[in-house]
Amino acid sequence: MTAAAIMTAVPEKRPISAGALATLLLGPIAIVNGVAFVLPVFNLLMLSFREALSGGGLGEAFTLENWTGTVTDSYYLELIGQSISTSLFITFLTLICSYPIALYLHRSQGAWRTFLLVLVISPLLTSAVVRTYGWIAILADDGLINSILMYFGSENGIRLLFNKTGVVIGLTEILMPYMILALLAGFGRLDHRIEEAAETLGAPPWKVFWRIIVPLTMPGIALGCLLSFVLAISSFITPKLLGGGRVFLLATEIYDQAIVTLNWPLAATLSMIILVVFGAALVFYSRLLRAIS
Amino acid sequence: MSTTRQNLPGHLSIRGLTKRYEAMAAVDNLNLDVAKGELIAFLGPSGCGKSTSLRMIAGLVPASSGTISIGGRDVTKTPPYKRDIGLVFQSYALFPHMTVLKNVMFGLEMRRVPTADAERRAREAIALVRLEGKEERRPAQLSGGQQQRVALARALVIEPSILLFDEPLSNLDAKLRDEMRAEIRDIQKRLGITSIFVTHDQVEALSMCDKVAVLNGGRLEQLGTPQELYEQPATAFVASFVGRTNRLRGKAEGDRIDVAGMTIRAPGRHAGTVDIMIRPHRMAMRPILEKAAADVEPTNRIRGTIRHVYYSGDILQYEIEAAQQIMTVEQATASGGAPLAEGSDVELAWRVSDTLAFEVRQ
Ligand SMILES: Nc1ncnc2c1ncn2[C@@H]1O[C@H](COP(=O)(O)OP(=O)(O)O)[C@@H](O)[C@H]1O
Ligand SMILES: [Mg+2]
Repeated sequence: MTAAAIMTAVPEKRPISAGALATLLLGPIAIVNGVAFVLPVFNLLMLSFREALSGGGLGEAFTLENWTGTVTDSYYLELIGQSISTSLFITFLTLICSYPIALYLHRSQGAWRTFLLVLVISPLLTSAVVRTYGWIAILADDGLINSILMYFGSENGIRLLFNKTGVVIGLTEILMPYMILALLAGFGRLDHRIEEAAETLGAPPWKVFWRIIVPLTMPGIALGCLLSFVLAISSFITPKLLGGGRVFLLATEIYDQAIVTLNWPLAATLSMIILVVFGAALVFYSRLLRAIS
Repeated sequence: MSTTRQNLPGHLSIRGLTKRYEAMAAVDNLNLDVAKGELIAFLGPSGCGKSTSLRMIAGLVPASSGTISIGGRDVTKTPPYKRDIGLVFQSYALFPHMTVLKNVMFGLEMRRVPTADAERRAREAIALVRLEGKEERRPAQLSGGQQQRVALARALVIEPSILLFDEPLSNLDAKLRDEMRAEIRDIQKRLGITSIFVTHDQVEALSMCDKVAVLNGGRLEQLGTPQELYEQPATAFVASFVGRTNRLRGKAEGDRIDVAGMTIRAPGRHAGTVDIMIRPHRMAMRPILEKAAADVEPTNRIRGTIRHVYYSGDILQYEIEAAQQIMTVEQATASGGAPLAEGSDVELAWRVSDTLAFEVRQ
């Protein structure tokens, strides 16, 4: 066949409409998400309306009891409030600890920057469980910190483990890599020239920080905080191990209800409540983003 | 722009200013005085230390040695936010999260000017750079030229004792650049702000500024008026960097220089290897056959052959092989006359006084 013949053999190209192209590209992920996320969440929602029988059984009838029981029980209300406030506090602490590191990383260059980035990411290569045991070794009554304190003359040291302090310290460290990466991703608008311009206009360093650097990095701060908050409120291994069964949060309660008490409908109800909190966080985040830009 | 500034003469004074990056001196022993209200250019090729000098004056880069004083006050160790300096960047460096008005008000806010007063002055400055009506825009909603005007207004509004420009026009297209040049010059004169304008564009430096400091390899080659630089360049570098030149190398003995067997005279006395430079449009050219007019002034004459003729409307440019070199001669096109043909033998003539000679240091 000659080249011309091949050319004519090719069917005429039909332009694909943008809508069709979008459907084509988004189709697979929509199906995966539907099967692996939306469907289970829907099941969970249905589960939260079932009656819990002792021994882990499920009643046939639908009931609102799980919901009314939860939102009128002061224990659960306090648990929800505790979880949100603790997660917010952890998020804040993570931000404070991560921001200087991210800023320094953003400004460093070359091999040094690569080295620092690897250093930041490396904790993610170890499971949170292993890192939590690391913290137990550090925070325990006869752990690293207390040994040092007692060496310098402290009588009993301080209680850092099996209480909220331990949970906050452990989770903050575990969340820092995520926060740093999110901050870095949002530091794109930062430009040294802009800071210099502010300086020549009479802004001392702390004013440059609050008036220029913080507003310009707000997208990163918002993303990092959203991520940290969501991860903090849904983590249960670290609170369980570092809290020693004495720190009660939503996620640990869900775990207990589902695995220990076998009250699946209640676990499902609490899960749905966390989902609502997520939704609220997302709405707040997108509002904030719109306000920034 | 209401308060008057009381500046001492010799307003900006730089002594022995040096910046070393490891072994390399980016700026090497710079000495300079700028009078109040003067617009001075830092001119030089890329990497010659213009920005580094400017940034040391602004306080953004610490000096390795030397002193900087403004209005008699030594500011060498003063941080930038206390130096009272306006800086206009090549990249504009506007605050992207603030409106035009807020950008311009920023410096006044830092100086604790009451908000109402600050806003009035900011609006005045915005009007001065002809951006009325754009006060509530964000920088991203403005064109490059408009952004640079905002940067200018932002630097002007604080009434700095020194205004610094680091290649502010090089991101703009040619037409806008011409416009902005005139505008900056006009505003600078009107407000009488002592200014330094960094550029690698000699046309910009010569046409805008009262004085030009030519920098090369971190050193000040010459400081002078545009005319001084062009007519009496102090070094071969200045002669070749400011304006175009034909360059010939020869052996000098007194005022006579031997170039490929031809003798060329130059003002002054020289010895050893010498670089001779002649501006293309200061050379006359005529066919060999024509009879030379009697010289009114001492004139150099050499023979050559036309290799190329470039016609560009206003100007005829000839490339002529003479003294084993290619020399460029420029002539304004005249009505009637056809350009000389390529291959013609011609005589080149120029005044001895137009001959620039520099001894080559070995
Ligand atoms: N931070 C720096 N570290 C090392 N060398 C630098 C630094 N800044 C500038 N230089 C060097 O100093 C010289 C002058 O730079 P610069 O002042 O920016 O030149 P110009 O503005 O005239 O183009 C250049 O050779 C440049 O590579
Ligand atoms: Mg530069």
